Amino acid sequence: MTTKSPQTVKKSAGVRDNIMKYFSFSAIIILVLALSITQENWLGTTNLSNLLRDTAPLMIMSAGMTMVLLFGSIDLSMGAVCSVSNVTYVHFMLAYQDAFISPWIASILGMLVSLAFGLGSGIALGLIHVKLKVPSFIASLGFMSLWQSVALLITQNPESVPKAMWGTVAWYKIAFGVLGLPLVFALLIIVLLHCITRFTPSGRAIFAIGGNERTARVAGMSVDRTKLIVFAVNGLLAALAGIFLAANLRSSAPTIGDAFTLKIVAACALGGTSLAGGKGSELGTILGVFTVAIIENGMNFIGVDAYSQNVVFGIFVLLAIAITVDRRVRGQIVK
Amino acid sequence: MSELERNESQAAVIETAEPAHHIGTEVLFSAKDITKTFGGTKALKGVELEVHAGEIVGLVGENGAGKSTLLKIIIGAQPQTSGTMMFHGKPYEPKTPMDANKAGVGMVFQEQSLIVTLNVAQNIFFGHEKEFKSGPIINWAKMNKEAADVLAEVDITDILPTKKVSDLNFATRQMVEIAKVINVTKQSGAEHCLILLDEPTSVLNEAEVQNLYKQMRKIADRGHAVIFVSHHLDEILHITDRIYVYKDGSSVGSLDTKDATEAKLYEMMVGHDTTTEYYHLDRQTRPKDDVLLEVKDLGLHGIFKHLNFQLHRGEVLGLCGVVGSGAEEVCEVICGDEKPSFGEMYVRGEKVKFSAPHQALAKGILMIPKERLFEGIVSTLSVEDNIALSNAKQLAKGPFVSAAAVRQQADRWIKDLRIKTSGAKELLMQLSGGNQQKVVFSRALASGADILLLNHPTRGVDVGAKEEIYALIRTMTDEGKAVIVLGDTTDECIGLCSRLIVMKDGLVTGEFEAPADHKPSQLDVVSLMM
Repeated sequence: MTTKSPQTVKKSAGVRDNIMKYFSFSAIIILVLALSITQENWLGTTNLSNLLRDTAPLMIMSAGMTMVLLFGSIDLSMGAVCSVSNVTYVHFMLAYQDAFISPWIASILGMLVSLAFGLGSGIALGLIHVKLKVPSFIASLGFMSLWQSVALLITQNPESVPKAMWGTVAWYKIAFGVLGLPLVFALLIIVLLHCITRFTPSGRAIFAIGGNERTARVAGMSVDRTKLIVFAVNGLLAALAGIFLAANLRSSAPTIGDAFTLKIVAACALGGTSLAGGKGSELGTILGVFTVAIIENGMNFIGVDAYSQNVVFGIFVLLAIAITVDRRVRGQIVK
Repeated sequence: MSELERNESQAAVIETAEPAHHIGTEVLFSAKDITKTFGGTKALKGVELEVHAGEIVGLVGENGAGKSTLLKIIIGAQPQTSGTMMFHGKPYEPKTPMDANKAGVGMVFQEQSLIVTLNVAQNIFFGHEKEFKSGPIINWAKMNKEAADVLAEVDITDILPTKKVSDLNFATRQMVEIAKVINVTKQSGAEHCLILLDEPTSVLNEAEVQNLYKQMRKIADRGHAVIFVSHHLDEILHITDRIYVYKDGSSVGSLDTKDATEAKLYEMMVGHDTTTEYYHLDRQTRPKDDVLLEVKDLGLHGIFKHLNFQLHRGEVLGLCGVVGSGAEEVCEVICGDEKPSFGEMYVRGEKVKFSAPHQALAKGILMIPKERLFEGIVSTLSVEDNIALSNAKQLAKGPFVSAAAVRQQADRWIKDLRIKTSGAKELLMQLSGGNQQKVVFSRALASGADILLLNHPTRGVDVGAKEEIYALIRTMTDEGKAVIVLGDTTDECIGLCSRLIVMKDGLVTGEFEAPADHKPSQLDVVSLMM
């Protein structure tokens, strides 16, 4: 978290802006080149379609987080909300698989329950932040712990989607060449959010709040309402990602969302969204998401073991953010 | 202050001036030709100050005359842009307040600088903890004992050194702060110290003020010097030996307190009236009959109360008052930023209650805030986005705001207000203060609000831009808007407004009609403010 002082130094603005703008883009190119040269089958259809399909949940959640970061807050509970949604969806299908005439009804009801949970969680977080003035960082940290436990209380072990219901999650594997349907959905969502943040009055308010919340308030913007809506949408998107993950694996896992928290923040930061708020874009986040996805996929492909992956990943994220962070503001206090 | 009271305080002056103090002839501190520029504006334009050992010097001037800026330069909290300072006959260039302390200069800041989570002793010896170390451990008992001695030095015996500062009231904190500063300068080992007091009496009660006077005199009698800033002229006349008067960042002159009277000081502070063209008096409109805004018995707990006025279409209403008079909070309450504790507000006859500024904007009320950087602009956004902050909804066609409309609007205002910018896409942080303020005005004008609250509209703006802003205010009233102005100076308030409400300590002390051909004198207004 950073607090801005008004004295901004103009020097080296050009260079730094360019580094920030092209960092993800060049990282993707370098990674793709390095991996395709060193790894023979990396560019093969199988791996490529896997890569593109697995990117969807991360992209959906990063799309939401970008909005939250843009107005200067953060939501660390996304991964946990995703986990709860994930287990709820599968649990619901298991419990009610025979209760309705068509498996589709159980599946869709399960989806709605999960989404309603995500929406409710987002609204609750928003209210706590906006009305009780609890910093979003600490409020969402509390929610993270809460929902992580709830997910484990629903089920401690992964549950499988019953075979009779497989048809209802098969949509996830539909693909046009290497481009899977889930990614198309995710891209649609992120482009829609891009349009909303750029071109609607409420969306523009997000940037103003992130740039200077006090100004936004005095200028007559509904700061509280805007924040509340964004947190609600964010919860909804986290829940949607949970459903995507269940459909992909045809099973649930109570800790499936935990690993996402860092990846989401990393994708947004790599995409050029300032962690201090006010600057960034949803389109940039698309690049950030692909950077993160390629690193992860690359390490899997090379066969780096899971524990070492986190070491590499953590170091990479720190470096990337250290390079792209905006240090131009004089007297900036970083908390 | 009534005529009677003023006569009394003059009598008091003569009394205190009678016993001659032993003022050394040695010049302890001097500042020559100090200037200070913030961005493009000059806060200080060549200020002089000379302080002798054993002397209490008062600084007086209106808000923004440069007193606080000068003190901050002397204490090393801000560097001067040019000019030299001498202390003990040697060049004096403090980089930080710590440097100043080491040289023997200490300051009690207007905004309290104690760390409230620490106790009294820890605060008094903050930064000097090493002196109490035995081995790696701090000897708290020793520190507490010495803190008690320091407090006793300024005749405070009823505060325990172990008491947490957050548990003390503001007046007590102020005394602790004074004790701390006196100790810090004493520890510097300088033969004569210099102590700066910026508005120290505003939170003190009568008895505490008397004790403060006693301590100031005691310090001076030991050969140290005190610089004392206050908005209360009676205090200045009561305690100081010599007075410097500042106006608009330059020194008007200095005089011995025994030769000074309140009337004389007012006159010096106010200076000459500015020419009528400057405020575009020929364009001052007569207020229409319809009332846009009415407040009845409005109040904010502990800040101001019993405020009544009607604001008419085409009127410029001025609120005059020094810092702490409550005038600024009146603005904040009306624009919906603060909820009033008492009273009622009516907009066009309809009773309103606001809990956030966006509700006030819906009724056509918008404030141009005082601190431009902190609450007026979004520096990370472009000029066009800043102008569209308050009216994005009006620009929207369907759910989307058309980028072309935003651009068109910005281009129009850039042209109309002659905003100097490389284009509508330029980030606001790249603009100068005056141009940023024009952007804020554009936003307010574009918002469609017809009751505009201008809280220090010309703060930090250079002379040329000031005049353009005055012209803009005239244009607003021509268009039938109503404006409330909190001027940077009394002169500005009188020049701009068709009616003035003067406030002091949260209460209205006077009202003046100010038609273009019959403006009240600054003297009359200022004497009701202080």
